[in-house]
Amino acid sequence: MVSLQPPLTNSNTLFYSTLTPPNPFHYFPNLYPKTLNPPPPPLKPPHSLPKIQSILQYNRKPQLAGDTPRVVVITSGKGGVGKTTTTANVGLSLARLGFSVVAIDADVGLRNLDLLLGLENRVNYTVVEVLNGDCRLDQALVRDKRWSNFELLCISKPRSKLPLGFGGKALIWLVDALKDREEGVPDFILIDCPAGIDAGFITAITPANEAVLVTTPDITSLRDADRVTGLLECDGIRDIKMIVNRVRTDMIKGEDMMSVLDVQEMLGLALLGVIPEDSEVIRSTNRGYPLVLNKPPTLAGLAFEQAAWRLVEQDSMKAVMVEEEPKKRGWFSFFGG
Amino acid sequence: MASMSTIQLRLHTLPSFQRRDFPSFLEFRTELGMISSSSSSITATGCCARWNDSSTKTLKRKFAVRALSDPPPPVKGDQHNNRLQHQLFTLISHKPPIQPALNSPNPTLNLRHAVASLPTFILPKKKHFTPSFATGLCAAAAFVLFVLRSYTASKSRYSRPGSVADLVRRGQLRSDRRGISTPLKYEDPFNNPMVKIGKSNSTIEMCGKVFRLAPVTLTKDQQTIHQKRRSRAYQWKRPKVFLKEGDSIPPDVDPDTVRWIPANHPFATTASEINEDLAQHNVYQKHGVPFRIQAEHEALQRKLEALQNEQKLGKLVIDPIAAQDFERPFKSHLKPEEPAERSSSKHTNPDSARNPFLDGPASDEEEKP
Repeated sequence: MVSLQPPLTNSNTLFYSTLTPPNPFHYFPNLYPKTLNPPPPPLKPPHSLPKIQSILQYNRKPQLAGDTPRVVVITSGKGGVGKTTTTANVGLSLARLGFSVVAIDADVGLRNLDLLLGLENRVNYTVVEVLNGDCRLDQALVRDKRWSNFELLCISKPRSKLPLGFGGKALIWLVDALKDREEGVPDFILIDCPAGIDAGFITAITPANEAVLVTTPDITSLRDADRVTGLLECDGIRDIKMIVNRVRTDMIKGEDMMSVLDVQEMLGLALLGVIPEDSEVIRSTNRGYPLVLNKPPTLAGLAFEQAAWRLVEQDSMKAVMVEEEPKKRGWFSFFGG
Repeated sequence: MASMSTIQLRLHTLPSFQRRDFPSFLEFRTELGMISSSSSSITATGCCARWNDSSTKTLKRKFAVRALSDPPPPVKGDQHNNRLQHQLFTLISHKPPIQPALNSPNPTLNLRHAVASLPTFILPKKKHFTPSFATGLCAAAAFVLFVLRSYTASKSRYSRPGSVADLVRRGQLRSDRRGISTPLKYEDPFNNPMVKIGKSNSTIEMCGKVFRLAPVTLTKDQQTIHQKRRSRAYQWKRPKVFLKEGDSIPPDVDPDTVRWIPANHPFATTASEINEDLAQHNVYQKHGVPFRIQAEHEALQRKLEALQNEQKLGKLVIDPIAAQDFERPFKSHLKPEEPAERSSSKHTNPDSARNPFLDGPASDEEEKP
């Protein structure tokens, strides 16, 4: 769940190496006016460091890497692994981090992103209406009132058919139109891809230049994920990272579930995040309130937040959680100490 | 009874009472020598009634409260103890002679005498009011019971089957915290105290749980090997053209890039109401009325103008006075029907519906940004 070097290094080196993102743009903030925070001060000797409460790289705002808008497609191949949940939570995490986000629900037949975000009553127009001239693009964008820099765009209504006469060109036009908006270029365009590799998948991946592959640690999901990764690479999308969802450390410990490292060994993809199994996901889905907005935050919400952090910096995980250890308690733990 | 105190209150010594006139003389004593046996009885004696016939002719009532704090004078036997243990309230009312007052011409004075002639009252007064512990305990218990009762009532109200909270908890109703509710955000996502690295850097504590960490072992070489494996396994070209099954492949299209869409596809269709350029223009439109809305409006406008022209021509031939009554219901019926017919025909036959919008000078203007 955290970006750590292997534990061979000492703690200070470890901390600094995690603070420094791997991208070279980190030291040139002027090149990226969207960067929210100034770059961290140059490294000082360890003894002069201020006290840091949580020794993580997430103690600062992330530095946006890459050209905007970054068009990221979130796909899996197999259905039900958490693509839409990932899109909603990562999208809102990015919005919380201060980046402007447009989430496109490209699941033509089975759209659900509006439900997860609690915006289903506000979707009046979709991309199909925009293409037909029934409304403008800005009328079809649904702005989230919780985080005003997050917008939702649905590609079609459940009972309407998407005209594929111009295929994925429509999404390319959409991205171009979003670039020319008066509000400015959005930092992220997240595309929630439908399951399978049908026409909807082909349409969704068309404008993307990077991909997030969501998978679960089971063999059916892994086979589909490998296939989809191959298709994405054939299409020219090279920046592919994966999120392993619904991980249970107790089952991994009992060798009933593949570990995250096993999954990574089979797929050979960089890890963007590991999301533990959490019953709060179902609750938040039914409430239309994404996990990352929960207070207090849950394990899965924290993991989504950290995945969003890495997505901004184009970073990947250096260490993963393997199993849960019993917490060491003090002498007075019986009394609540 | 050792803590008895003597309070002697004389009304005529208090400035606030001095201005008041009391119709009788009231004396309140705690020690009197003629108290009889009963300890709880309060005896009123009227033996000390005196009429304070002052020169000012005002009736004054003297109210004396006396309690003993100093040791009582030595009195013999049980009589003294009884005296100390009991409280005596003596009300001495000195009633002036009523008859002359009633006969007086002053009505206020009459009323005052009438009130003064009423039977005297006796105020029981305990010498010592010590707050009982039992009373306080009872009051506290009653308060606790009240709070518990209100709490259980509120709990039962929320857990009542069929209530909003119950439905939300069971998932049958979405929570009221949807959409525009205020965001729940924990304070600082950039300094998250819920995540802590252990001292040895091999553990992490998240949300109170400690997890063991393992370093990622994937290398760049392994990633490259996987990419090569996939490129060999999956030879794929992204489809560029979507054709309905049965259509012929255009000559300049690679057959590998054709995606065949069945006619009964649940959510995709190859048919389109508008052409590609117009769709692109619609997506890029930033301001103004959307294309279709404007086109429908202008088509309706043209239809209305045509109807008005027909009406003018008809007026030349038919007597307008005679025909007006027959035309109105017909026109009012016709006008709302026409746009509906146009829109329905548009949806049923896309090719025929597109042409009126694209043809003519009005539609040419609409395509301009």
